[in-house]
Amino acid sequence: MSADPVPDLPPGVDDGTLLQKPVDRREALGLLMAGLAAGAAAASACTPLNASTPEQRELKLLEWQEFTQKHYRRMTEAERAETIQRLERLAKIRHNEDATIATTDAQPGVLFGYAFNVSKCKGYRRCVEACINENNLDRHQDTQYIRIFEMENGVVNLDEADPTYQHEVPLEGHFYLGTQCFQCANPPCVPVCPVGATWQEPDGIVVIDYNWCVGCRACMAACPYWARRFNWSAPDVPPEEVNPNQHYLGNRDRKKGCVEKCTFCIHRTREGRLPACAEACPTGARVFGNLLDPDSEIRWVLAHKTVFRLKEELGTEPRFWYFSD
Amino acid sequence: MSQPRRGIALLAIGAVCLVSGCREGRTIRWDQPPAGTAVAQVDSATAARNAAMEPGALTTVQTMPVVRWKGPGGRPFEVGRRSGAPEAGYTRLFGTITLPIALRSRAASLNQYPCTSCHQGQKIVMENKRIGDAHQNIKPVHPDQTGAVCATCHSSNDVETLTLKSGERASLDESYRLCAQCHFSQADAWAGGAHGKRLDGWEGRRVVMACPDCHNPHDPSVKVLIPFRAPQLERTGGHAP
Repeated sequence: MSADPVPDLPPGVDDGTLLQKPVDRREALGLLMAGLAAGAAAASACTPLNASTPEQRELKLLEWQEFTQKHYRRMTEAERAETIQRLERLAKIRHNEDATIATTDAQPGVLFGYAFNVSKCKGYRRCVEACINENNLDRHQDTQYIRIFEMENGVVNLDEADPTYQHEVPLEGHFYLGTQCFQCANPPCVPVCPVGATWQEPDGIVVIDYNWCVGCRACMAACPYWARRFNWSAPDVPPEEVNPNQHYLGNRDRKKGCVEKCTFCIHRTREGRLPACAEACPTGARVFGNLLDPDSEIRWVLAHKTVFRLKEELGTEPRFWYFSD
Repeated sequence: MSQPRRGIALLAIGAVCLVSGCREGRTIRWDQPPAGTAVAQVDSATAARNAAMEPGALTTVQTMPVVRWKGPGGRPFEVGRRSGAPEAGYTRLFGTITLPIALRSRAASLNQYPCTSCHQGQKIVMENKRIGDAHQNIKPVHPDQTGAVCATCHSSNDVETLTLKSGERASLDESYRLCAQCHFSQADAWAGGAHGKRLDGWEGRRVVMACPDCHNPHDPSVKVLIPFRAPQLERTGGHAP
């Protein structure tokens, strides 16, 4: 008789359900750890000095399951849903935030491209501000994906440029050039990852599975544009400033010791919206669109303006162009 | 005339037509709407919707292809302009754009509107640069630099309209026609997508900022501001960028 003895419980809560299905090594490890955690929780529950609430026990279990989850690209639909449910619950327990984590896939026929008008940018850094708020960037170490360089008119020389200017802008005789992740068509950061935690999506966005990243920082060394950022500690975002509109591959809660970077606001752009930086720019210096759409503004810029890319000689083929009026 | 010579002559005439045709197609007369595109007929449903629109609402009006102008691949250019006025729905070709543009109503961003609340039926003298007490917030920087007077852009008889060099009137929502009389390269870039800011997402309907949404028409230069805080490079532990 194969009657299912398990009633409708949240996934993974009853370990008996896991034992009845074939498991691979990783899942077995997870199971073992979950059992240990449950055991530890049970043991600690016996000692009056260290009494744990049901919520604490749930947190421990969910953390073990998070520790042992699969690679994002190898998850089935059901496993994805289960993972999202778990991460949303974890965000609720850890930070008391009601995050919605999307797993929206790339739209067919879409390849994102970006153009930056160096004669329009006035160095206000409103894009940086919007990026920090939109992507839940760490306020403690002040992570910023975007750098705005102040340079003297006449030559593009990043070695002589100043990214830390703090005076009224625009400064006479200077121009401003912004960098971020360029979502290269030939990204040097991807093949160096020893665990395959970073890859390029069909719409051109280079993404990271934060749960799979081991924090070796090889990708940071490989990137010729210094576009990647490392979490030296768990990101610190004030609860009232958390953006609850999240994506698994984008702005969701990161852990200590993983690498992150600009994803062209994957949670926004995959729903047809503009990246936060382009929306915040007060001068209209940022043009974003679909490179495969001949009617798009980005294609108009590429067809009608003189454009250049940074360090083109490296062959990384950035999908981020600079142009001037 | 022998056959080859006649053929060459025909070819030459054809080439001249082709060249002149191209030249005509590329000459952008910002101050004139193309012939035959004065006012498009709007069906009653669109007219009712346009009439019901609140000023400032982002709504595209019915767009119609314009006959004379052709875009890349032979497709017609078109632009949808919107305003709260019932006659909105008027479609005209503009520049070298390939997608319809939707604009925000200019009236919604003016705090002294409608003009007729003060200037009821009056003709305003606009030949000198004196600005009335009610408009002390206006700094005539641009007129001072260019030698313009009020009447260069504003219509004396109907203060809610702009006046173009041709003598034609343009509504406040059509300020791009006025600005483009001098700033044609900017207008070209605006119509194409390199100038101006897109508002409503990269996909679908193309809503962009019009000229006065960013540039104060009387003082259009970019202002000096304090930037957002600088990165703390030593804390992020990375190289300079």
